[in-house]
Amino acid sequence: MSAETLFSIRNLTVEYQTRAGAVKAADDVNFDIRRGEILGLVGESGCGKSTLGKALMRLHRIPARIAGGELWFDGRDLMTLSENEMRAVRGAEIGMVFQDPMTSLNPVQRIIDHLTETVHAHEPKTSDEEARARANVLAEKLGIRAERLKDYPHQMSGGMRQRVMISLALALRAKLVIADEPTTSLDVIVEAKFLDLLRELRQEFGLTILIITHNIGVVAEVADRVAVMYAARLVEIGGVKEIFADPKHPYTQGLLHSVPNIQLDGAELYKMEGIPPNLLYPPSGCRFHPRCPFAMEICGVEEPTFEAVGNDHFAECWLYHQASQVEVEK
Amino acid sequence: MSSTEGSNTPTKRETEGWQNDLQRVGLVRRLLMARKWYGVDWWFVAISAVMVLAFIFIAFFPGLLAPYEPDQIVGTSFLHPGKYPDVPVLVVRTESTVETLLDLATPEGEDRPSVGVVQGGTEATAVREHSQELDDQLIQDGNGLRLRPRIERYDDVQELLNAVNDGTILAAVVNSNEFNQVKSDYPDLRSGDSILGETASAGGFIMGTNEIGQDVFSRLLWGTRIALIVGFSSSIISLLLGLPLGLLAGYFGGAFDRLLSLVMDSLYAFPGLILAIAITSVLGPSIYNVIVAIAVLYIPTYYRIVRGQTLTVKEEVYIEAAKSIGARRWEILWRYIYPNVIPSVAIIFSVNVADAILTSAGLSFLGLGLPPTMADWGIDLARGQRFIQTAWWLITYPGIAIMLIVLAFTMMGEGLMEIYNPKLRER
Amino acid sequence: MLLYVFIRGSMGLRRYILTRIGLTLPMIFILASLVFFIMRILPGDPVRSALGPRGTAEQAENMRRTLGLDQPLIVQYGNFLIDIITLDFGTSMVGGHRPIIDEMSERFPATLELIIPSSILALAIGIIGGSLAASKRRKFPDYSLRVYSVIIYSLPIFWFGLMLQLLFGIQWKLLPVAGRIDPVIRTSLQPVTNLYLIDSLISGNWPAFWSGVQHLILPTITLGLVLSGVFVRMTRINVIETLQADYIAAARARGIRERVVVYGHALKNAMIPVITLIGLQVAILLAGAVLTETIFNWPGMGGYLVQRISSRDYTAVQSVIAMFALLVALISLAVDLVYSLLDPRVRY
Repeated sequence: MSAETLFSIRNLTVEYQTRAGAVKAADDVNFDIRRGEILGLVGESGCGKSTLGKALMRLHRIPARIAGGELWFDGRDLMTLSENEMRAVRGAEIGMVFQDPMTSLNPVQRIIDHLTETVHAHEPKTSDEEARARANVLAEKLGIRAERLKDYPHQMSGGMRQRVMISLALALRAKLVIADEPTTSLDVIVEAKFLDLLRELRQEFGLTILIITHNIGVVAEVADRVAVMYAARLVEIGGVKEIFADPKHPYTQGLLHSVPNIQLDGAELYKMEGIPPNLLYPPSGCRFHPRCPFAMEICGVEEPTFEAVGNDHFAECWLYHQASQVEVEK
Repeated sequence: MSSTEGSNTPTKRETEGWQNDLQRVGLVRRLLMARKWYGVDWWFVAISAVMVLAFIFIAFFPGLLAPYEPDQIVGTSFLHPGKYPDVPVLVVRTESTVETLLDLATPEGEDRPSVGVVQGGTEATAVREHSQELDDQLIQDGNGLRLRPRIERYDDVQELLNAVNDGTILAAVVNSNEFNQVKSDYPDLRSGDSILGETASAGGFIMGTNEIGQDVFSRLLWGTRIALIVGFSSSIISLLLGLPLGLLAGYFGGAFDRLLSLVMDSLYAFPGLILAIAITSVLGPSIYNVIVAIAVLYIPTYYRIVRGQTLTVKEEVYIEAAKSIGARRWEILWRYIYPNVIPSVAIIFSVNVADAILTSAGLSFLGLGLPPTMADWGIDLARGQRFIQTAWWLITYPGIAIMLIVLAFTMMGEGLMEIYNPKLRER
Repeated sequence: MLLYVFIRGSMGLRRYILTRIGLTLPMIFILASLVFFIMRILPGDPVRSALGPRGTAEQAENMRRTLGLDQPLIVQYGNFLIDIITLDFGTSMVGGHRPIIDEMSERFPATLELIIPSSILALAIGIIGGSLAASKRRKFPDYSLRVYSVIIYSLPIFWFGLMLQLLFGIQWKLLPVAGRIDPVIRTSLQPVTNLYLIDSLISGNWPAFWSGVQHLILPTITLGLVLSGVFVRMTRINVIETLQADYIAAARARGIRERVVVYGHALKNAMIPVITLIGLQVAILLAGAVLTETIFNWPGMGGYLVQRISSRDYTAVQSVIAMFALLVALISLAVDLVYSLLDPRVRY
């Protein structure tokens, strides 16, 4: 609306072929990532958010497959690209930062070689010296000393490696960085520094960041907007302040209530009823209805659709279009 | 709130229904369904299971399938596979009761039976000589029977066989190969045994005969028994020693573990065959010595696997939990760790049987281990090697037999490993 | 190369190498002791069997004395260990009176000349096939390579060698089936290293080189192919495991080509555990060499061992087996050192 859309995800469905049948890890997901924003994608473990993140770059591996949908990135539908064209997009236009910095760097490759290899993969004509010079400049900006570039990954700390991962994503000035649980394996202080760095980078490079996490705190700290996922469906999306102040979807409400708050000491922490559903046999209708305190008859029968529930704020819940529909029926 | 419950119920029923469905399916159906999940590995295990069962059946009842005893000398030496020995055989009408030359014996004074031969062949001499021998025997027995057949000569085989077919003569003696060539033209005729007695067979040998006229096929079938006895008993002995040692060393650790592991690792790194050569060369040839020698070799295989698994399982949270509720050490070892190492041990056992059979065949091939007269594939190969220039079948078939039996056990291990190994599961 | 690394390498690497050498010594000791006790403690009298049924008690007594077998076991054990350290195994018990170490040093190069090309062949097939199977997992190349490795693993090596002889030597008469070199050409060759291929190259003796190569082909294929089955399997499993690692996904996410991901990143990492496993396959290599040498009449250590066993030369048998133990320990040491070169986590 206000800002230009960079990445537009339309009706994306990702399936896992399992021995017991197809499991949808993302079911008809729609959302936009706007240029220059930090979008937080939150949800419980196993709700499909990591799979979704990988599918955005078509990095999903067998047995996962994209069953349908469109991925409009910067004016092109990524789904129509050949594998080789897609490879050119990865790293150069969309970068990715993985959860565990300890395992996401090749242990037998020096840091500098990671960087130059990435540059060469996309710009084969770049000379070694130039690639190395660019790596040095980039490293300096990210607070990695030049001499550390000659190190092997096992010689670096977790926070340092996560910076390296970012520098790899930025080596070719990627427009979008997808960060999959980037702070989960970092301690709190390193995490705070890392999030500061993300904000700085956004300022400096005009970077767009999709941060996938189960940690509401991280989202509250850095994100401009939040998308909430539950059982392979996107249930709510909106500005971070609005959602935190006035969550509409009962799941989002439960999620926010279950976050411990230092100021509210003594108050009992909210525990959500029930357990996340088995995605092999998802509940009929709204997937949250078996756990929802406000469930109605229609919730178990028909799937709700996305409705505007505020200013640039949408939710998928019968509570918010029930009224209009019921009126129409009358 | 009643509406919530209402909408809840169908979902619950769905899940339960699905689980019930799976549980209602029988074991056989479930095994068949597994084919879809495991693909080639399922086929590996299924094919190898059939092969293993077949070999076990042969090992238990070699006599049912083998036409001859393994040491029996049943034909001329170096007979090609499928070739019939050139022996004179008795040909009679199908309904005739005559089986051997002796059946043609008649009481003294009665008509002498006619036996036809082809003019110019060696059969006439053979008939005369053998009936003379048998006749002498009959005279000695003194029960009034004599064997003095009248030999009738015909110009060619057709004429001769037509005569038998018409009933003009009771029996003919024909070269077995000649008879087999025209056999299909005379549906009413059948060949009896060779008139030369037990040393020759008219039946032919599908894998030929060896240098002293033993049937290669029969020795092959009887050899299955030796291969499986050596393979299974040595593997079981190694298992019985390696498994407890590995469990104890892995669980208790300490100096005992370090010393034992050093010894086991050294033993493991040493070429098994060479160690077996050392042991059997001192112990001398006997099947028990081979079993012992091979059993010693493979103790480290079990030890290493079991110890490694024990070390991993020991660190699991549920072991901590068991300790925290006061389970005793032996209880933890027996109830929590032991069941976890069993799948890998089963896989290793399968591969181990294969290895043991290969090693024992290698030993026999080198002339060590088993006594040289035994019906063993390795021994047959070693004996056949001397005749590689002339008799290819002597070395080809025993080798294929070794390969197939080893393949059966290896494939089973390989398939199970791929199915069980959690490291290889797709993330 | 290794020496260079040792001198110029970092502190950590030097300590690693020293530790490895330190661990090799007890291994040699344990293996030597095993050999000794198997040969002495098991029932059976080597002297009696060496002399045969016609040997008198007096002859046996003499032989025991000359061989030192009348001494207490512990003294014999000490002597045996000293023999190994000094590489002086005494003279043969039967037949010739040449020092055993001389006989072995003639045959050792033959064994080397067989196992080196065989290992190279096996490694090449193993690494290429294993990574191909892993990168095409659950597809046709994977299935066919797995069937290949299972069948190859099940091949009795001695039978496979005989079949090659039967086809290439006897049926088609393409290649020689016995020996290392044509005996006539052999006389024209000046022994330097006793590795005939190297010797003929040094002296520029092309007929000898060609004859050596021809004689080497069938034994190398026999031993190399049989070993390759294991290597294909090990490489495949390790590359599959490595391909599931995060850094592989991360490399793909950076747009690195799939070929580079598999053969550059995954294979290099997978080789680290594979190298260790290959070290353990030395056992299969040497056992295979014994059988291959027997079939092809190859005058190496294995052929010598079998020959000495059939002539019941018990001291020679014991020495050859001790020599094999030494070889095993040294090869595993070499493999460990290669490992340290490959893995930066050991180096720093």
